[in-house]
Amino acid sequence: MTILNENAPDAENVGRSVWFRIALIAVACAVAAFIPGLLPNLFYVHIVNLTLLSGIFALSLWVIYSVGQLSLCHAAFAGLGAYISAIISMRLNIPPALSLVLSTLATAALAAALGAVILRLRGVYFVLVTFLFGQMFTLLALNWAGMTNGANGLIGIKAVTLFGISFGPRPMFFYLAFAMFLMVLVFVWALNRSTFGRAFNSIEQNINLAETCGIDTARYQVIAFAIGSGIAGLGGALMAHYIRFISPDTFTFHNSVAYITMLVVGGRSLFWGAVLGAAFLTPLPEFLRDFEGLQHIIYGAIMIVVLRVMPGGLISLPRTLARIGGAK
Amino acid sequence: MDITTLLVQSGVNGLVIGMMYALMAIGFTLVFGIMRIVNFAHGEFYMAGAFIAFFTYAQWELPFVATILIAIAVVGIAGAIIEWVLIRPLRTDELTGMIATLGISVVLQNSALMFFGASPRPMPEVVSGLVRMGPVVFSWSRVFVIVAAAFVVGIFWLFMQKSKTGRAMRAVAQDQEAALIQGIDVGRIYPFAFGLSVALAAVAGALMAPVFSVSPFVGTAPMLKAFIVVILGGLGSVPGALLGGLLLGMIESYGATFLGSVVADMLELGLVIAILLVRPSGLMGKKEA
Repeated sequence: MTILNENAPDAENVGRSVWFRIALIAVACAVAAFIPGLLPNLFYVHIVNLTLLSGIFALSLWVIYSVGQLSLCHAAFAGLGAYISAIISMRLNIPPALSLVLSTLATAALAAALGAVILRLRGVYFVLVTFLFGQMFTLLALNWAGMTNGANGLIGIKAVTLFGISFGPRPMFFYLAFAMFLMVLVFVWALNRSTFGRAFNSIEQNINLAETCGIDTARYQVIAFAIGSGIAGLGGALMAHYIRFISPDTFTFHNSVAYITMLVVGGRSLFWGAVLGAAFLTPLPEFLRDFEGLQHIIYGAIMIVVLRVMPGGLISLPRTLARIGGAK
Repeated sequence: MDITTLLVQSGVNGLVIGMMYALMAIGFTLVFGIMRIVNFAHGEFYMAGAFIAFFTYAQWELPFVATILIAIAVVGIAGAIIEWVLIRPLRTDELTGMIATLGISVVLQNSALMFFGASPRPMPEVVSGLVRMGPVVFSWSRVFVIVAAAFVVGIFWLFMQKSKTGRAMRAVAQDQEAALIQGIDVGRIYPFAFGLSVALAAVAGALMAPVFSVSPFVGTAPMLKAFIVVILGGLGSVPGALLGGLLLGMIESYGATFLGSVVADMLELGLVIAILLVRPSGLMGKKEA
């Protein structure tokens, strides 16, 4: 009886928080509907679009991080999705709306196959092998000219069209990107709350203990890697149909580092951190344009400074401020 | 060109890049063995060494020995300071330390870009002339790189084997706590090891500056190769880094000659991934618990 009583408020709380979040999302949608109209010019819309795409990349990287593995080939999977979607929509005349889905699934499947082999490695070894895989992707994209058109890249990729509406123009793409971002966000949130999320979390905290408790750590790690990389593929494909040009330079090691930076600066403990990091760092170079040449230095410096002063990232800022203010 | 000539030429070229890879990988693996940190900024110190060589040798026209010594001193001290100020507080876990070195790499590379510009600068050779041995021809500058690198590796090896500090460093790499109990000041070993490690990278950069050109991006490729070498030889193993470096140099040189450089590159990456999967501890590394 007492147990029931103790649990009851909890369940109510969870229920309330779910409704609260749904309301939050509804408000976000309502605000988003007016964003393209409110921004002063197309350049700002473009930045917002890129920010949404970065959000997708950072969130998907977080999924992999949530099982305690750091992937340095995240950009390679984004590139894989982009190339698959671009090539099948151009060569086989598949509508981009469908090729987005297909490339996402294909990327996830490839990631699952790769993950099944490489996820037995842990820590540094995993980081190194993903780094090498990223380099292999760049080499392949550069040299498989028959498929990828080499260093010149693919041009004239079709825009996404759905129900006769073209999502090519920047303000229109915003709605697509926002919908996709929201979908990914809700998916990651739901994933995080599911049994999968709990298993991921326990693996991240102590993989040996999780294994001892009967959690099939290898399986869960492969699932997380496939989901995270698949979503990265979706983001890459979206990018390909938005910019309508991709080359091996679009998805390099430096992009992988940029996604990691977003995760670190935003905060690694919760998936909100990834969103915050993307929202903070993607527009940042545009504001630093006055410091030509300095912007990348500032970027790197911010990463080090955040690690040094705020290891929890931006999401821990309120707590840090409270601590400085003298709260316990 | 007959086959013997081709084999010898490729062998000399393989030895040149192999020694460079070994110099890079020895420092890289040293830091990993002692501090458990993967230093993604290692290539930037190679770049720093190359720039120091360019300014001191090509512009101020100092003797090349002085150039190498200046590169060792400047980069070594800078490395020790970077370890002291930036990496030490972030060494709590492997991933955080690694991310910190990524940030350091971005800052160093872009600083070089801002101050020196992106265009590659050619550098005059240190020794000129050609060696002729029957049908085989190669330049003295290649031989010079091999000999100089071997000399530096030899001194480093002697230092690690005989000197008190070198032995202390090996002790810390083996077991940090046990080393601490023996009265070794681990806190002082870290910045020293990091400085030594990046000084070796700077030597590699200075030696290779006349062979390749000098630009802010020259460090990326050697760092990538250093990764491959340490995986090949075993993370944390110094002899493994030397062996792996030479092996990789040879594979690359002969592979590029007989199979073409793209195929050679892909094969190389495939080989390394295979090694990681079958024997993650590498050729000469020790199994980790």
